[in-house]
Amino acid sequence: MLPITLLSVWKRKGEIQPRYAKPSSSNDETANILIEAYKTYIGEKKKALKSLVAELEDKGYEYRFVRALSLLLDRKSTFVCQCKVDPVDLRRNIFQATEQFSLPITSETRQKLLESVASKMALKVEDVEKYIYSDLDDELVLEKFLAPSDSELLAEYNLSLTQTLLFNATELSFTSSGNWQYLFHAIKKFGLIYEVYLDNGLWVKIDGPASLFKLTQRYGVGIAKLLPIIVSNSEWTVKAKVLWRFTNEICDFKLESQKHAALLKKPYLPILIYDSSIEEDFAAHFQAVTSGWVLKREPEPVTAGKQVIIPDFSLEKANIKIYLEIVGFWTEEYLLRKIEKLKQVEGKMLLLVNEALACEKLSALAKRPQLDLIYYRDKISLAPILRYLETQFEQVKSKEIKVLEGLPIKFTEPIVGFGEFAARIGVSTEAARAFIVVHPPSGYVVLADTLVSNKKLLQIGDRIRVAICQSGNLPLKEAVRIIEKEGVVDDSANVLVMLGYRIRWRGIDSEKAEVFKDSKNSGEKRFRWPLF
Amino acid sequence: MLRLWFDKGTLLLKGEAGTPYGKWDPRVGCYRIKAYHYRDVLEYLAESKLQVEDDVPMLPPLEQLKSNVELREYQNEALNNWCKACNRGVLVLPTAAGKTFIALKAIQQLKVQTLIVVPTLDLIDQWKKRVKDCLNVEAGAVGGGENTLRMVTVTTYDSAYIHAEQLGNKFRLIVFDEVHHLASTGYIQIAEMYTAPYRMGLTATYERSDQRHSLLSQLVGDPVYSIGVEELTGEHLSPFTYEKISVELTPQEQQIYESQMSIFRRFLQLRRITLRSAADFQKFVMTTGRDPKAREALLARNRAVKIAVNSEAKLTVLAQQLEAYRKEKILIFTLHNDLVYRISLRFLVPAITHQTPREERREILANFGSGKYPVVVTSQVLDEGVDVPDASIGLVLGGTGSNREYVQRLGRLLRKKEGKLARLIEIISKETMEVGTSRRRHQKIRGAA
Repeated sequence: MLPITLLSVWKRKGEIQPRYAKPSSSNDETANILIEAYKTYIGEKKKALKSLVAELEDKGYEYRFVRALSLLLDRKSTFVCQCKVDPVDLRRNIFQATEQFSLPITSETRQKLLESVASKMALKVEDVEKYIYSDLDDELVLEKFLAPSDSELLAEYNLSLTQTLLFNATELSFTSSGNWQYLFHAIKKFGLIYEVYLDNGLWVKIDGPASLFKLTQRYGVGIAKLLPIIVSNSEWTVKAKVLWRFTNEICDFKLESQKHAALLKKPYLPILIYDSSIEEDFAAHFQAVTSGWVLKREPEPVTAGKQVIIPDFSLEKANIKIYLEIVGFWTEEYLLRKIEKLKQVEGKMLLLVNEALACEKLSALAKRPQLDLIYYRDKISLAPILRYLETQFEQVKSKEIKVLEGLPIKFTEPIVGFGEFAARIGVSTEAARAFIVVHPPSGYVVLADTLVSNKKLLQIGDRIRVAICQSGNLPLKEAVRIIEKEGVVDDSANVLVMLGYRIRWRGIDSEKAEVFKDSKNSGEKRFRWPLF
Repeated sequence: MLRLWFDKGTLLLKGEAGTPYGKWDPRVGCYRIKAYHYRDVLEYLAESKLQVEDDVPMLPPLEQLKSNVELREYQNEALNNWCKACNRGVLVLPTAAGKTFIALKAIQQLKVQTLIVVPTLDLIDQWKKRVKDCLNVEAGAVGGGENTLRMVTVTTYDSAYIHAEQLGNKFRLIVFDEVHHLASTGYIQIAEMYTAPYRMGLTATYERSDQRHSLLSQLVGDPVYSIGVEELTGEHLSPFTYEKISVELTPQEQQIYESQMSIFRRFLQLRRITLRSAADFQKFVMTTGRDPKAREALLARNRAVKIAVNSEAKLTVLAQQLEAYRKEKILIFTLHNDLVYRISLRFLVPAITHQTPREERREILANFGSGKYPVVVTSQVLDEGVDVPDASIGLVLGGTGSNREYVQRLGRLLRKKEGKLARLIEIISKETMEVGTSRRRHQKIRGAA
């Protein structure tokens, strides 16, 4: 962020844009001159750098641009006071000596006074004069400088420039591909108010409490601080209203990742560390068991009216998504607000509530069909949650089976995967499998995850018979390869059994296993399906 | 049942009724009300026989105040007028007339949680000391690294503005010292975002050249008492004299001054620009952002001003004056910090600018007060508020054309001490624009003081 006096913009037909320093030979050159100067000015006073900037201005470089770059470079520099003694202490000694010497109006009394202070503080007389104000900003000496590259400096300048423009913002709307947790945390921290709306994705509009009464720039600084978090995502769009005070008009400002991302510095955001070990523990335990549910931490925001909730977790399986929120410590007011908000949420929400801290008000929650509660004490136990998830899933599954039973279903392909079939109808694979097991279609055999037509099965049988005839014996590996080549990638052992073959194992190494015909029971007779 | 609470510098009202002071806020589904309407809303709801659960105030605990404040006659009159105006209003009194004591007496009489808002960190120290001396309690402070809330808390305009969301509902009386600052675009929001029903404004210079002081009536109250320097001089304020000493620029300075000023004048002629008022000048400054030629002209003018204001010749006169008033306490005022440090180095006298560390400032002011340091040189930071009772000589080496600045600087010297004659001595460069600047700052002196 820069002082407002260094803000440089262009304005046209009610639109406002910062004058970005696009990568160009002249901009790169300006950045380079300054960076190289800072490198060589180590050991020099800050005022030397300032006069360099003034010199550049005199030469015709745009003054706001060079001053802003210099300011950004100051922030990458360490300036130190080179005085051997504490300058405040040195001054105190001098001023107190005036009592003894009276006011040093003549240069002789002045010299005498300085000499006495010098000897008292074990300094040379000229050092007393040199260091008396060595702690002033201009007098500090450049000690260290972390040089950026030319393009880094320009990108940082452009980001700072945009933030400086936003100081004058009365409101801002954005949409973003992520970092929601960060963004909403920051919105709250900076005392802003948001509303969400849907317009080709989720948009968040931001202003502050007093914005209701009049246009105010009071929240501009908070709004400007959000910008780095927004642009650190891969995709975003920002729209803002900016009050241009010189003409007192409201201008539109728009920034898009496609157009502007390359210009702006993308700040590094540290990974958010969660304070709640309960959540950590829960995530670790849940992921350790195989449940078929995919656990996602802080999924995208869920809209609740004009507000959003970012649940702690989402759990996904097949077509079902359930949000999960862990309520650890709470006050009654917090909980009531939360309930109020949750009422507006679309979709399932599971609340894990610390029983030790619960009160009867929570029973009000239970009346809401969409909202479910599981209590816990010191630690969250998985069993009730998994049971809950299974119940949810079973309910959905049986509904889907009913749907399937109402549909006229006919198969024509030789091989049909359950997943592919389920996706075609729009149900879960589990429901599709359950439906097919109960209602096996005629002309097909049912494998673990696939339907195979009898015709196809016989074709595979032919291939295997030929292979055995040709080479006398058939390694299991080879048989599997033949089956897979025919398009059946699932349950090949079962296919062999159905065709009347058996597998001879030599130890546990499948490489050595062989397929052979069970001579007692001639193959085809063991076909168990109704067709034959 | 209605519920009213404080939300980040505003009030929210929830329930089955609205209020004429509020506005429906669809973002949160409540009525939102400006914080300064707190008293109005409560009165309205009471008149309408509506019960409300008032969760607004979050007040620090009350403390026992012991007062030994005895008010002078005119101070009593000022306080009475303020009380009659429902504990609201602005008191206009010259510097050194004891505005602080009126405010402290009001706190002691009302016995309510009070926030005192002051322009500078030095004034926080000064008010804290006064509260301790006169009311016998420690005052809290917000700003300058401190952050303690007490029954009586002192803060700066900056901190009061920045922390309005947190502090807005914690006081019942708010005192604005140097209240003319409050009328600026940003600070005015302090008055809007605090709930305190009782409000007092203190100033020596109520009117602003931008007329924004008219905004204060609604937010703090009308001026309820006003008295001028003349009425108090002698009995309550030190008598004072004013002198002007003109110096000639050195030949070299004269040459640079002329050449730089002519660049500026030529530009104005070329563009047919006439600068009649401060507003004209402001407009001209704005064009310099876009127009490199205008900027060149402005920079030339600034260089000329610097030469005139900081002329070497002034230092010679300064030396004579310091010699002449060796026994007195002297404050030296300049326009630029450069000159402050030049004087400090030349005469080895302590300097106070915005860069002086706070601890050192405290120490310098304490030593100036006790007489250990007879001279302090400063630019504009000491213009307001800080009291040095027996400072009697003010040497003005440079300043803006602002009448307010003049009145405030003079005010540093007017605190009454038996036998004291205050002298304000201006040292200006002959035949430069400084003559005009000096004339401007005196134009309204009688009216404003």
